[in-house]
Amino acid sequence: MKKNDESKSIKIDETKYSMDTQIIYGKNISKKWDYSHHVTAPISSSTTFRLDSVERGAQGFQQFANTEQFGESSPIFIYDRLGEPNKDLLEENLAYVEKGEMALTFATGMGAISAVLGVLTSAGDEIICHNTLYGCTISLFDNWYPKYNIKVHYIDLTDTENIRELVNENTRVIYFESPANPNLDIIDIKSVAKLVAGLNSGREVNRKISVVIDNTFSTPFCQRPIELGADFVVHSLTKGIGGFGTDMGGAVIGKKKYKDLLLLYRKDFGAVLNPKSAWGILTYGLPSLSLRQRQQTNTAMRIADYLSGHPKVEYVNYPGLKSYKFYDIAKTQMIDFDGNFAPGSMIYFSLKGKTPAECKENGRKFMDYIAGSVYTMTLAVSLGHTRTLIEHPASMTHSVVPPEQLKDRGLDPGGVRLSIGLENPDDLLMDLEEALQNINS
Amino acid sequence: MGFSTDAIHAGQEPERATGALITPIFMTTTYAQEELGINKGYEYGRRDNLTRAALEKNIAVLENGKYGIAFSSGLAAISAVIHLVKAGEHVIVTDNVYGGTYRLFEKIMTGFNLQFSWVDVSSLENVSSAIKENTRMVYIETPSNPTLNITDIRSTAELCKKNNLICAVDNTFMSPYFQKPLNMNADIVVHSSTKYLNGHSDVIGGIVITNDKDTNKKLKFIQNAVGAVPSPFDCWLTLRSTKTLALRMKQHNENAVQIADFLKNQNYVKHVYYPGLKSHPGYELAKKQMTGFGGIISVDFGEEETARRFIKKCKIFTLAESLGGVESLMSHPATMSHASVPPERREKMGITNSLIRLSVGIEDIEDLLGDIDQAVQ
Repeated sequence: MKKNDESKSIKIDETKYSMDTQIIYGKNISKKWDYSHHVTAPISSSTTFRLDSVERGAQGFQQFANTEQFGESSPIFIYDRLGEPNKDLLEENLAYVEKGEMALTFATGMGAISAVLGVLTSAGDEIICHNTLYGCTISLFDNWYPKYNIKVHYIDLTDTENIRELVNENTRVIYFESPANPNLDIIDIKSVAKLVAGLNSGREVNRKISVVIDNTFSTPFCQRPIELGADFVVHSLTKGIGGFGTDMGGAVIGKKKYKDLLLLYRKDFGAVLNPKSAWGILTYGLPSLSLRQRQQTNTAMRIADYLSGHPKVEYVNYPGLKSYKFYDIAKTQMIDFDGNFAPGSMIYFSLKGKTPAECKENGRKFMDYIAGSVYTMTLAVSLGHTRTLIEHPASMTHSVVPPEQLKDRGLDPGGVRLSIGLENPDDLLMDLEEALQNINS
Repeated sequence: MGFSTDAIHAGQEPERATGALITPIFMTTTYAQEELGINKGYEYGRRDNLTRAALEKNIAVLENGKYGIAFSSGLAAISAVIHLVKAGEHVIVTDNVYGGTYRLFEKIMTGFNLQFSWVDVSSLENVSSAIKENTRMVYIETPSNPTLNITDIRSTAELCKKNNLICAVDNTFMSPYFQKPLNMNADIVVHSSTKYLNGHSDVIGGIVITNDKDTNKKLKFIQNAVGAVPSPFDCWLTLRSTKTLALRMKQHNENAVQIADFLKNQNYVKHVYYPGLKSHPGYELAKKQMTGFGGIISVDFGEEETARRFIKKCKIFTLAESLGGVESLMSHPATMSHASVPPERREKMGITNSLIRLSVGIEDIEDLLGDIDQAVQ
């Protein structure tokens, strides 16, 4: 047997391949870790890294978060919190798939959100965000940002022009989710980006406004906001990208010039992604994203159709339904890797009742029946899982919102959120029918 | 190097490409080959894995051996060893061997026309007179499971050399920290690494260690051909564990010595089996070939009822199979580890229905003694 220790440098132009393929290979051969002969990346499991000399150690510290001066050549690994190979490999692939210049991972989605906003704002700055957001993002804005003297304005961003009423010289960030969690409001990303570009044209560099979008509900398979003009995308990797419900994670994707700041923020605030989690997302999460998301979207379409025609259902919010008020805009921006309309795997709906209280009570009965008696659906928070998950936002994911503010945040007290999994759609329809039949109203 | 130094460093040079201090978990089933016949020496995960290689090197060094060959369980390791023997050949086995080894040899390997003699190997004469023309191997456990009989490794190995037999020693109970059979001229050491080597009751594994190049070659071939290999993740966890083997073994031993001392003076106890007790028939030999007495004690309560009550009332000692973990366990050999041994053989071995095997953990000794005391009150 002949041995060859020379690493063969393979030069391949990845961009000529489809995204389905790129998502598996990323950069093919990474400068971050020469593990090239292992077909699957090893799991990096070391908190610290041996340095050949004090000089090399000093060099490592000098180079860290200093890409402007040193470029992005082979990194000198020092300590896991600063960076290690599994995260680096995942970040390369995430940047690719979201069409960003760079990606940086965090311990959780909230770690990513607080980091990107942390580097974009200072005391005295203002953020304009959509009325409806994930509950813990609302909690970050309402419970912590007053302490830092960062002002957050909630407005209806489904009408982009509303931005003009609140924007001022302190505005630093326009922040939203599309589809929004949990009611699936759709915000016109291109139009927000265009309006912000206009506002920015006269501003100094350090007073410019950034558009930050949480793309967790869509995943990059269904929507790539940076292509539509957004500055930053954030993700909870825990959801559709991780996909199997095994690991927490978050990511910020955006312009290269922010990478150093984000690296420093991550180092000092410490929300680093565990390498073992990064490995899972890199090895089985991202590579199977297309397959999973395509299947889940197809199933969601059938379920949304079924629910919207059901006599016990009051309304269904799903971007793929022609009857949905945001259908037209969704169709222009939720596009999969192959160019098809991809309305995603999340559905929001409410059950009928004579009064709002009865709607809510019927929703509770419906979800409790599912929790107790149904095989294919699980009452649980989180989403983008292999299993179909159902939950009640007003009392679970969005419980931070007081009852009297539900309406302002776009939340229906009886709203039900459904995250479609990989089950056979016929089985889901059978179980949904059984659960709906068991509401006596 | 000292034992702890080796435990922490042997086989664990920082990873080449990144300098990572801890060996990565090399999770790959296959390796990219550059051209036909050209690769870096790694082809397929069953045959080669870097995390596994690090573990094999590490434990081989701890046993003062040249080669380590890791398996997916202790029994997979033992079955690899018995695969060195061919159909028609004969093996002499210690008569109170671990029940799983007995089951493998007697219920499966005899079907491949291997012959076994079950001998009390604590007497060298017994071994000597059991040797036949077709004898190929002497397989011993010392201390034995569960009655902790001590076999003289050195003289058994000498007898084997004279008769051109392979001397294989199951060193699971002592771990290399307290006993190194290769230093006493044994040919093969086998471990259930599930026990003390891993020590945290979270990995099933086995390993064989030898100094002989030819034996290593055969065992490597068996490892790849039969395929009972451990996962890279399990190897990584076991590597984590060997780093504290010395610390853990010291504490297991310290606790067990005190518990054995305590138990031998209790009137509800009929007999205590522990090689560290002067009353133990193997005490002098144990002192000669072991540097500690280990963490396993067997107690015969005389009455089955007392044993049952003890099991029921213990709060810290947990009734469970296995041993060698940081937590204290107890087992009932007659119905658990040695259930596959026929009752009349069990009786002969001292495995009565009133016998309990304690695997003393590394908890605080006051709590362990207190637990035993309240259980028999």
